[in-house]
Amino acid sequence: MTTFEALQTGLRTRLGGAAGAWFAEATDEAVSSTRERLLQLYTGVSRQLGHPPLALGMLSGFPPPTAEGLTVDHWTIEDAARLAFLMARSERMAPDEFAADALACYELGDAREQQSWLKAVMLLPSPEHYLPYVIDACRTNILPQFEAVACENPYPEQYFPERNFNQVVMKALFNRVSLARIVGLARRANAELARMATDFAAERRAAGRSVPDDIGLAMAGAATRTHV
Amino acid sequence: MKMIDPHVHMTSRTTDDYIAMAAAGITALVEPAFWLGQPRTTVGSFVDYFNSLLGWERFRASQFGIRHFCTIGLNPKEANNPKLACEVIDLLPRYLSKDGVVAVGELGFDDQTDAEAKWFAQQLELAREFKLPVLVHTPHRDKKQGTIRTIELIRSLKFPEELVLIDHNNEETLPLVLNTGCWAGHSIYPNTKMDEHRMAALVKKYGTGRMIVNSAADWGISDPLKVPKTTEAMRSIGIPEESIHEVVWKNPVAFFSQSGQFDVSDLDEPPTIDRSQKFEANSVLRGESSVSR
Repeated sequence: MTTFEALQTGLRTRLGGAAGAWFAEATDEAVSSTRERLLQLYTGVSRQLGHPPLALGMLSGFPPPTAEGLTVDHWTIEDAARLAFLMARSERMAPDEFAADALACYELGDAREQQSWLKAVMLLPSPEHYLPYVIDACRTNILPQFEAVACENPYPEQYFPERNFNQVVMKALFNRVSLARIVGLARRANAELARMATDFAAERRAAGRSVPDDIGLAMAGAATRTHV
Repeated sequence: MKMIDPHVHMTSRTTDDYIAMAAAGITALVEPAFWLGQPRTTVGSFVDYFNSLLGWERFRASQFGIRHFCTIGLNPKEANNPKLACEVIDLLPRYLSKDGVVAVGELGFDDQTDAEAKWFAQQLELAREFKLPVLVHTPHRDKKQGTIRTIELIRSLKFPEELVLIDHNNEETLPLVLNTGCWAGHSIYPNTKMDEHRMAALVKKYGTGRMIVNSAADWGISDPLKVPKTTEAMRSIGIPEESIHEVVWKNPVAFFSQSGQFDVSDLDEPPTIDRSQKFEANSVLRGESSVSR
């Protein structure tokens, strides 16, 4: 079962009734609608389906092997439906045209639409194409937006250059986001990150402030460096 | 007393204001899209502005336990720039169906030009299409005539009057508005528009039906605590608590709930503020410890 099939089946089972009918119709429409209409559908999911949690049990076969480390425990129905629209469209559109549409959904989205997009960007065709946008998204001051990239999402591990990956980890530390939520932190640990974390701890102590308990996770690179 | 400020431009206010508003009892607010004090030159500025109302500002308000809603529209001042006006109107369908967009607005008359009338009418049609109420600005200059034209336009298009909030009323315009089915907004200002004592007198004279009070605080001389101050002024002349509650809570809730997007039912509980969501480095929390209250 492909990701798209799994999503579609799962959501249809999960929704049922009028919501299910709307989703099925909207997914069909998203395949070849104008961009304007796609944007409306992408936005409209929220009012049509609400944002209840995505019940994982309904989504057998998900996530697919191409997105190792991706978890959807924290996704909502609207997150999954938005991804389904984009995947349906990607199967028919020329790659460049699709990428422009997908980016429009991101750039014209409100905070929650952008979060749906960022959580799912890993599953879009050619996810590397969106790297500058995902890096840019991490500059946000809206914490749930940052978490959409930084947490339970393998994208930074797989695509971020070291400097940007390190910034994700440091920003998580600053904002008390648990480092255990960063996928692949142990695999991407590096000496520069260890140095930054060490300096951060020193700065906190000098100011008489507490140091996050899990900061050691960012320092693993210092010890393992010679073995890599 | 629990209050709503149904018209306040928080993007131009400080975190001190948020703290003071929350402490004074404001638990929800509506931020109408307006102009920025100087004309914008490209439509991209509108995209970013609308996105900030739906993103950063909403998040910022939540840090202080205040529920943030917004209205989206083409304001009357910038309706006079023909190229920009067309481009902004084309953007609106993308924004009017977003979560927490509780009306189209501010729209209406400012200089009372033909362009303003045209985009006013066009936005009433958009509101009809998207099943949203409208928030109507009235002019500072020639206000009474502007209010009469506003009412004529709404009636000529047969737009449902219960979905219209006509704002910035004074002693001269209020009777005109109350004569219709529209709601009457009052912006309580330090020096201009309306003050809290005159407002209290108007509530005493006309009652509470369809009466709404806001601070319309922005980047000019204005005061985001004018709703609480008006509450106090009403109390001081003996207006009953239940009537005050209608003006500062029930009425704005009833009006904006017509959007299907103004859910404040859970605000009966005191909000939990997760201040760890604030940022030490580059945002609202700068070094102080995170406190939940």
